[in-house]
Amino acid sequence: MKMDRVKRTISVVILSIGALCILFPIAWMISTALKPLSDAFDGQLIPSHPTLSNFTALFAPDAAGSVARWLGNSLFVSITVSILVMIIDSMAAFALARLQFFGRTALFYIVVVSLVVPFIALLIPLYLEFANANLLDTYWVLILPYTSNAFGVFLLYQFFLGIPKELEEAAMMDGVNKFQLWRRIMVPLSIPATATLGLLTFMNVYNDFFWPLVATTSQDMRTMTVGVQLMAVGQYNTNASLLMALTLCSVIPMVLAFLFAQKQLTQGIATTGTNL
Amino acid sequence: MAVSEVRTKSLSIHRRRRPVMRVVWDQFSSFLFVVPFLVAFVAFVGYPLVYGFIISLHHWNPIAGDLGYTGLGQYATLFNPNSLFGQQFWTGLKNTVLYVVISVPLLLAFPVTIAYLIYRSPLKSLFRSIFFFPTVLSVTAVTSLWSWILQTQGGAVNNLLQAHVPWLVEQPWAWISIDMATLWWTLGFNMIIAYAGFTQLPQSTIEAAALDGAGSLRTFWSIALPQVRPVLAFITVISTISSFNLFAQSLLMTGGGPGSSTEPLTMVIYNQAFNGMHMGSAAAMSYLMALILAIISLVQYRITRERA
Repeated sequence: MKMDRVKRTISVVILSIGALCILFPIAWMISTALKPLSDAFDGQLIPSHPTLSNFTALFAPDAAGSVARWLGNSLFVSITVSILVMIIDSMAAFALARLQFFGRTALFYIVVVSLVVPFIALLIPLYLEFANANLLDTYWVLILPYTSNAFGVFLLYQFFLGIPKELEEAAMMDGVNKFQLWRRIMVPLSIPATATLGLLTFMNVYNDFFWPLVATTSQDMRTMTVGVQLMAVGQYNTNASLLMALTLCSVIPMVLAFLFAQKQLTQGIATTGTNL
Repeated sequence: MAVSEVRTKSLSIHRRRRPVMRVVWDQFSSFLFVVPFLVAFVAFVGYPLVYGFIISLHHWNPIAGDLGYTGLGQYATLFNPNSLFGQQFWTGLKNTVLYVVISVPLLLAFPVTIAYLIYRSPLKSLFRSIFFFPTVLSVTAVTSLWSWILQTQGGAVNNLLQAHVPWLVEQPWAWISIDMATLWWTLGFNMIIAYAGFTQLPQSTIEAAALDGAGSLRTFWSIALPQVRPVLAFITVISTISSFNLFAQSLLMTGGGPGSSTEPLTMVIYNQAFNGMHMGSAAAMSYLMALILAIISLVQYRITRERA
């Protein structure tokens, strides 16, 4: 038993060292964001002259970047995509799990194809497709491509398969049609799984970099993720305090999601590993 | 009488038609459920895949459009070591493969070990939260903050180590920097997956091992790990794919440098398409890259499946 305790202590020590390594960069990010530029290189973790001036500077009218706009864009796009994906994938998953229709097997293959196609192959044709439609640099180009993500179909398909058939049969006997079955019974039952899908989709879209980088050109249409990169190589390249403040702002929505819905996030990620 | 006769006649016709109509309507209304997804798929996956291939068969300028048919010439160029595009492609591929070979073992070993340690330790929730946290950050937030702390002059890491390591400007530190940042960022993701695998281990197995006198290391290596092999396989495959797609870390942290030693294939393609305006050639490169990735993933999948 004593050996057990020694081993557990060693475990905790190792994990604590690891945890400190994880927290170290974050601590420095916050610390630098709260320092005036003159203190940024002073090498002290605790700021000697803590200030919020970097944050006000970010949102000032004469600021170099359109931070408020970027944040708004990111949130709007992420939320819209999440809602669309939840609806589209839930309908498709329900049909695959419970309905018969022509081309059902083909659809399975389509879902699989959709999951394995690497983004790099789609990058250029998607760009040109939207360029031809004159939709670059708009909300359309930022929202639409993500709706083809089949991950949610797969996730909800598994879930719908697990719902007992008796529930459906009872509903059918009460005379509901398919759409009502989906909307009144399947959807409410699948709220945990669908919410997880929405959350994961939000995270992936909010954090996405490559596509918004390529799809937008004007500063006002950029997303937060791209904005951080623009400022990092651009005007805030020499201003660590402002850059760290911007970085901190960019992660706040996801930090909030983390604080309030960590369980959902980790469960969603865990199930991909054990199911796929 | 006549009315009811007519009625009966038309009813019997309907009775013959109704099952067919019902089946057709049944199928069609079911099909309607998948239409939104299908539309999205065709518009944003299916059509682009075909269109992209067509583009790769032409000289293509992003603004001017089609500049001439080349057939498979642009693919052939990539295999020609004397051509500029060929050299760029293989440099990018070499860098990407180098990165994959270094990072995937790290992205397997660290998360799995930490997941197991957490699994066997107290304070599980606290540690899981801390290690998972970086995963919710965006890649640009990660690279922006790691670039800051890895500054040669005045960066927090060099201050801590009391050293003067040129993290972002010289090799091998440049690759090490990218690896450190990526490991810090995605460790949590893989750790959660591995942890889920460990929680499915029957507690009795571990206890039996302890009773048989197996040390902790032995239990980990010979008993716990083999049981979670499918999870390990999954982590290996997804880490390989995501490492193959390396882009932002190189772009922001090192700019592909020093020289072009950290320039991954994605960056070569991106520069070709959007700076060099050679979209046809870039498309060919991206399809060849996708093909290579598909082959690697398939081989990995087969291997890991067989062993299990």
